Amino acid sequence: MELLIVAVFVAGYILIALEHPIRINKTATALLTGVICWTIFILSGPTESLLHSTEYSDLAESLSHGSSGATGDMEVHREYVIHSLREHLAEIAEILFFLIGAMTIVELVDSHRGFKFITDRIRTTNARTLLWVICWVTFILSAILDNLTTTIVMVSLTRKLVPNRDTRLFFAGLIVVAANAGGAWSPIGDVTTTMLWIGGQITAVSIVKSLIIPSIVCMLIPLLVLSFTMKGTLGEGKAPGSDEKAPPTANLMLAVGVSALVSVPIFKTLTHLPPYLGMMLGLSVLWVVSEFANRDLDDSQKGHFTAIHALSRIDMPSVLFFLGILLAVASLQSMHLLQDFAIYLNDTIGDNRVIITLIGMLSAIVDNVPLVAASMGMYSMDIYPTDHLIWEYLAYCAGTGGSLLVIGSAAGVAAMGMEKIDFIWYVKRITLLAAVGYFAGAATYLFLTHQ
Amino acid sequence: MDILIIVVFVAGYVLIALEHPIKINKTATAILTGVVCWTLFVFMEPGPLLSDSKAFKDFQDVLSIERTPEDVAAAPADELHKEFVVYELNEHLASIAQILFFLLGAMTIVELVDAHRGFRYITDRIRTRNPRTLLWIVCFVTFFLSAILDNLTTSIVMVSLIRKLISDKETRLTFAGMIVIAANAGGAWTPIGDVTTTMLWIGGQVSTAAIITSLFIPSMICLLIPVLFLGFRLKGKTLEVAEPVHTATDVKGGRLMLFLGIGALVSVPVFKTLTHLPPYLGMLCGLGILWVVSEVMHSGLDDIAKKNYTVAGALSRVDVPSVLFFLGILLAVGSLESMQLLNEFAAFLDRAIGDQRIIITLIGVLSAVVDNVPLVAASMGMYSVDTYPMDHMIWEYLAYCAGTGGSILIIGSAAGVAVMGMEKVDFIWYLKRISLLALMGYLGGALAYVLI
Repeated sequence: MELLIVAVFVAGYILIALEHPIRINKTATALLTGVICWTIFILSGPTESLLHSTEYSDLAESLSHGSSGATGDMEVHREYVIHSLREHLAEIAEILFFLIGAMTIVELVDSHRGFKFITDRIRTTNARTLLWVICWVTFILSAILDNLTTTIVMVSLTRKLVPNRDTRLFFAGLIVVAANAGGAWSPIGDVTTTMLWIGGQITAVSIVKSLIIPSIVCMLIPLLVLSFTMKGTLGEGKAPGSDEKAPPTANLMLAVGVSALVSVPIFKTLTHLPPYLGMMLGLSVLWVVSEFANRDLDDSQKGHFTAIHALSRIDMPSVLFFLGILLAVASLQSMHLLQDFAIYLNDTIGDNRVIITLIGMLSAIVDNVPLVAASMGMYSMDIYPTDHLIWEYLAYCAGTGGSLLVIGSAAGVAAMGMEKIDFIWYVKRITLLAAVGYFAGAATYLFLTHQ
Repeated sequence: MDILIIVVFVAGYVLIALEHPIKINKTATAILTGVVCWTLFVFMEPGPLLSDSKAFKDFQDVLSIERTPEDVAAAPADELHKEFVVYELNEHLASIAQILFFLLGAMTIVELVDAHRGFRYITDRIRTRNPRTLLWIVCFVTFFLSAILDNLTTSIVMVSLIRKLISDKETRLTFAGMIVIAANAGGAWTPIGDVTTTMLWIGGQVSTAAIITSLFIPSMICLLIPVLFLGFRLKGKTLEVAEPVHTATDVKGGRLMLFLGIGALVSVPVFKTLTHLPPYLGMLCGLGILWVVSEVMHSGLDDIAKKNYTVAGALSRVDVPSVLFFLGILLAVGSLESMQLLNEFAAFLDRAIGDQRIIITLIGVLSAVVDNVPLVAASMGMYSVDTYPMDHMIWEYLAYCAGTGGSILIIGSAAGVAVMGMEKVDFIWYLKRISLLALMGYLGGALAYVLI
């Protein structure tokens, strides 16, 4: 039965990777994979390795004491499956509501053209200076916002500033590298680091401290190499900011939105409540502010600026994709397959650091969210406590490894869609730079923690 | 501190009710209320009400298994309180998430069928010109449709139908009012027809077969009484009917999507019975299948033309603000429950009123004024499943009352609000013409349930 579930999981994964050629949306596949895995799990009996696990025997014991009278093997198994599904759902829901909140806040700021305040300030026509400015702005912006939005904002900026298409592709490639590097070191910057933070594997202050330098190195090396090859001035682009006028509330929304995002870790530290509540608090405050700020507009003008409109534009298919794929990974975890796999990896490879470096590289091919979810299931918090090296290193590797291929991260896929970046072009021109950055950052992290 | 949280909760509730005059969306208020309640809860000093409660003792037992009993005994009281709050919040989130993902799946399926104009295969079949016959047909179609679909969609589909069939405004308003009653009555008796019955089903308070057998007749009576009365009033009238206009062209696969969509919705209870897994998984499974079918069916279209007919397009039209509203308000109710305030309130009601049937009937009437979702969530927190087991009378009666009581006022249910928006039904007009009929139906059905 274990084999069947693993087969379903792998088949689902292959279909997800082949999304474009077979033209079946990956969210549909992910949802079906998640549901089928759990269905097989509950209908089959407990496996050997499950029967010997402590969670299972604890539950069986507490059931035999309880009044429910569930004593048959199948009934205990059923109770165990439903119980662990419920626990996983709570964890998954924390991540998804966090994401929905964050995406809505960013979307609401964007619909007020709040990011123009930042992008309008970039006016240089010197190619090398512009590259530096754009990479740093992307790096810092993506530490606060999600990588996807940052990439979209920055790539649309280069469209206005860089008329030459070839040069612009290099800019887009480095924006992908910078966005991924910038997301890795902050708990709110990137889905995988956020997952580790919500799960309690890392804390806000220490992840920032340990990963900021490796992440900077990861971006800086490709940036340095490229800035040698890039010279001269860019032709006259369209003057930025002349085409769309920002509403008067733009700066207010930017200020409130960014403060809402930044105060989420503070909220968690003060109240000990999970981060999604802080995000929801920020969203509702921003929502009320936007209703007050646009009070004078009539309903038809207001439509575009409301949170309702922002909610209809957020990427719900991605949220459901995460739901499906995280449910599927959770089923493997509940069956104790991930723990067994971790033991197997330890036996064959040995060093955790090598394993995690490989996971990072693997994340260029497969989605990093299930990879991190699987790693969280593989290693127990009892052995590797909060802020242990493997969690921080995992946050770095899973966050930045995706830059190796253009399809390896949400930022890359967005840039690919916007600028029609060719897969092969990226492999030839950017992949090597990204790989050098990735390994240099990894080496920096390992060196620093050895001090 | 208890008082402060209650004040915040009530203030939030008042602001939600005043959504339109103060022009602040109720979702924003609900989320804010939920977060503030939990924040106050985590900072409050636990009183005897909490530290002597069964929930707190259970929590300590769970903790004693994870760590050692000595560790738990040695932990400082405020540490323990914080952990208790986070633990309770996590439990509530798991229950809430089950409801919300269920709703998200159901709404997306319905939206997808609608995007394919699937419901036209039902509405196109209604062609009669006799107002009495039409009333009976419209009410019964609404009743059975809303048993499968959510009440909101059902009323939107049916009201757009009568717009094409009835040109006289006054008659049309009466029909719209009856659609509200029929949609609410039809939703009450199936586990997938209505948010509140679904909540009780997901929470394990009612089971599929039992709720259908005990509530079908009361719900039917709740609809029949108003229909019979109105039937007399409409006697002898004829309708000046405009030829039913086909405003939109057919979409490829409309009929297939209708069958698959209804099949997916109806098989959710079957899925639960067979696998014992929670209903939201069945709903997501149905959504996944529909998604694949729609992609394969439209694979010939280019991306832009396809957008309308894919789940991605449907998801952008789904009512996410309502989902977040439920998240906020259910979190707020959850905080009151974890503070043991709802238990206390139930004990108080028992002392003051006594008979639970009266209390629940009043809850139903109250649901015409305030949203029925938090009311049912609060009732689920007030009464324990240990004392009142699955399919106990109070749960079934609660499902009936909370489901149908909202028809008494036009603002009392999602169906009513939708109809009000579509047909500009006036609050006072509804109060004069429909409320009394709805009330008679409500009490008639309630009586039928209690007698049976």
